[in-house]
Amino acid sequence: MPFFALTMRIIRTILQIIILYIFYYMGVLIVHYTGLPLPASVIGLILLAACLQFKLVKVDYIREGAGFLLAFMTLFFIPPMIGIIDYPELLSLHGVILMIAVFLSTMFTIFITSTLSEKIEKKELAVKEKKDREGEGAIESSHIHH
Amino acid sequence: MKAVIFIISTVVIFLIMNQLYKKYTYPFLLPLLTTTIILVIILLSFDIPYADYMEGGQYIQHLLGPAVVGLAFPLYNQRHLISKYKYTIISGIFIAMISGLFTIYFMLRIFKLDESLILTALPKSLTTPIAMQVSETINGIPPLTAVLVMIAGFGGALFGPFVYKLGKIQSPISRGISMGSASHGVGISKLRDYSEEDLSMGSLAMGLSAIVGAILCPIFVMIFF
Repeated sequence: MPFFALTMRIIRTILQIIILYIFYYMGVLIVHYTGLPLPASVIGLILLAACLQFKLVKVDYIREGAGFLLAFMTLFFIPPMIGIIDYPELLSLHGVILMIAVFLSTMFTIFITSTLSEKIEKKELAVKEKKDREGEGAIESSHIHH
Repeated sequence: MKAVIFIISTVVIFLIMNQLYKKYTYPFLLPLLTTTIILVIILLSFDIPYADYMEGGQYIQHLLGPAVVGLAFPLYNQRHLISKYKYTIISGIFIAMISGLFTIYFMLRIFKLDESLILTALPKSLTTPIAMQVSETINGIPPLTAVLVMIAGFGGALFGPFVYKLGKIQSPISRGISMGSASHGVGISKLRDYSEEDLSMGSLAMGLSAIVGAILCPIFVMIFF
């Protein structure tokens, strides 16, 4: 890549990360003033998703910045993850119970969610098909009347 | 000075482990796992307290906030799926969240675990960055939450296909919703074996359930604690 294009791309990525920071700090302010029990970043995420949906922010304004941060996302939570060294409890009996319970809960959740979603999906598609067919029928009958 | 050394070594080890994972894509070579283990071994063998490491580590962690905000981007890209399967997605994600919260809560209550440990386990099905921040918000222990999130992820990735066989699940939408909302990114990486539709549904469900979970966890805590 030519030097100029590369420089422009880096500048663009940095500016876009600043936009993401602005949304993050809006989340921080909202949490500070309302005391909502939500992570500031999640509020920033909801705000940005809403702004994209309602076309208040163009997706081009964040594409490269978000892409860059998401590519390195894992790196950013390695420092808090290392905090595990202050919690040797994980290797105790309670730690083992905790892990087994999480495993069982996850398996049950996958089972119940996939089974029920499949039933709901069939119903949703059936209703949609029926609507489509009725829609076509209406057009056809209006045709006959003309 | 010390801070700079910790920042550089974390980034360098991560980049090497990331390359290694790109070459050999085994779940136990996930960069999060390998980088954490290497750094923990280094800190323990040189007797460096976590607080000292965090003098540098905090600057890396600081980027987690805007990175989570950036999750709006993939969510926005998959919005076409939402309009097509609106009711299935919304109800599926709520079923998964309610099932996950209640089953873990009652199991741990039966074994009379400390409240702080139960709080730590509640966000287990959310994607790691959001799970850790929710854990912090509800007074859990974020690094322990991250370990449990990994277990939920590996559990889903390794045994999810078996559950689908057992329940005779045929639809990519159902597999995507259930895996994305119970086992996040690690779990949905397994959906690659099924189809592209499984995968995009999975990542959409992961993003949506992270938002729904972040809202439901504190409400659940207000009611049951």
